Amino acid sequence: MKTGNALRSLLPVLVILALIAAVPLFSPSNRFLSLAISAGTNVIALYGLSVLFGQTGILSMGHAALVGVGAYAAAILARDFGVGFWTALPVAALASAVFAMIVGIPSLRVGGHHFVIMTFAFGQLLAIVLTNGGDYTGAATGLDIAGPVTLFGADMSDLTRYYLMVVAFVTAAAVASWAIIHSSYGRTLRAIRENEKLAASLGINVGRHKIGAFVVSGVFAGISGVLLAYFLGHISPSQFSSFPSIYLALMVMIGGARLIEGPLAGGILVAFLPEVLNLDPVQSRIVYGVCLIAVIMLLPDGLIGGIVRALRVAFSGKPKQEAERDAAPSEARQ
Amino acid sequence: MSPILAISGLSKQFGGVTALAGVDLAVEEGEILGVVGPNGSGKTTLFNVVTGVHKPSGGSVSFRGRDITGLKPHAISHAGIGYTFQQAMAFAGLRVLENVQIAGEHVRVNAGANHPWPTPLALLDFVGLRALADERAGVLPFGSLRLLGLALALASQPALLLLDEPAAGLNDRETVALVGLVRQLPGHGITVCVIDHDMKLMQMLCRRLAVLDFGSKIADGPTGAVLADPKVLDVYLGGDL
Repeated sequence: MKTGNALRSLLPVLVILALIAAVPLFSPSNRFLSLAISAGTNVIALYGLSVLFGQTGILSMGHAALVGVGAYAAAILARDFGVGFWTALPVAALASAVFAMIVGIPSLRVGGHHFVIMTFAFGQLLAIVLTNGGDYTGAATGLDIAGPVTLFGADMSDLTRYYLMVVAFVTAAAVASWAIIHSSYGRTLRAIRENEKLAASLGINVGRHKIGAFVVSGVFAGISGVLLAYFLGHISPSQFSSFPSIYLALMVMIGGARLIEGPLAGGILVAFLPEVLNLDPVQSRIVYGVCLIAVIMLLPDGLIGGIVRALRVAFSGKPKQEAERDAAPSEARQ
Repeated sequence: MSPILAISGLSKQFGGVTALAGVDLAVEEGEILGVVGPNGSGKTTLFNVVTGVHKPSGGSVSFRGRDITGLKPHAISHAGIGYTFQQAMAFAGLRVLENVQIAGEHVRVNAGANHPWPTPLALLDFVGLRALADERAGVLPFGSLRLLGLALALASQPALLLLDEPAAGLNDRETVALVGLVRQLPGHGITVCVIDHDMKLMQMLCRRLAVLDFGSKIADGPTGAVLADPKVLDVYLGGDL
């Protein structure tokens, strides 16, 4: 309700994103830009996941499947209908949203942990369908997508330009997620997260809103998928199976799902940590696992939430009360 | 005048256990009705069936002449029935003011200009929690949490308010404050139905009592007469009346 305060909460993200957009000025390597672009596409999906998990309290372990629906929709649209990037965006977002609804309607009837398993199963199912889809889905090899992305006549395929475009999409995703959090719709979702029974008693259609949140997260995922498909030029089922889904869940938890900085931090950290520490894929999986356990046990609001709390303790010196407050919501959840 | 809530032949079985065995009950507009009975007599089941938490096994519930039997909880709220829970309930992780805002955002049958508390802050004033508006609900002391629960139900602008053991866990001073608030509700056009086994509270609140025992209504009438009824005394034998 206090718009001034709400706007202030968006400011740090915008500043960080402005800094990120300035990175090409320092002529980064192509490897850096590629990593950053794929991190960026993840962050877009993570902003959707933060609405679902952070606000509504529902965890999806099949989120990469929704990204995959967007990516495959873009590839098939380009191949069969000659549809380009900008038209594919809304269509793919819609496809992911519809897929989310189809998965959500039966899955959200079952509560809590069962939903996690259902999303996991649907994610696997999609990968199997794509792998066995013959020429239509390109089977295990996947599909190529070779269309230039142009914006106002300019070719965006150049790595730096594509990077900037992804940063713009990340910004849009962050603003959209922020707008949802600070709307009465976001409040309704939080009410469901905090206490479903009470929410229903106050006239909130819990089932429909849960499906709605899943559909909203699907829109973010679909857009992320289109950006990913056009960036990679080739997509295959394994990119959207269980491991990528688990990574997405891990990123949003490590960053902090409830704070607007969380998805950005989680996406960047998980993408660049193995690079910075020079880890091979097996080592990085171990590190991620340890990180996830540490975050769940020590930092329920994620890394950013932990940093914010630490700063608050350092500056105001009232750790106990804050700690109690932060502990409260998890106790109330059943 | 026809009752605001008419329950007829309402029954509920859980497996082989009969929790409600055909209960008839009418709540008249503008009254504070008490539903009493020993533990396990079916009081909470009655509430849960009326509010859509459980589907009834038989019978019907009509509210303002409209059949609402078996509607889902949110639809019951939309129809104009508010209710509070036995366990003091609020959205613990959210601020007190935000709690009340949410509660007022899904109203279908608008009380309009007649709504006694036009803003969430006015409602917090009414229950005496305005000073705590910016606190997280989870840090409130138990008594305040109960009052917040009442405020949330009122924010949904009900014509009928069902209270399930509203004073459980409150000390005497808090109970008196709560009774003071609930007594004002009929004056604001809100009919109240309270279930509790605390006879002292019921005597303070209600002029009419209905008594449940083993899922059946065994008495219904003016508080004084019901408490003198030998059948009721028998049910409460050994309890403190």
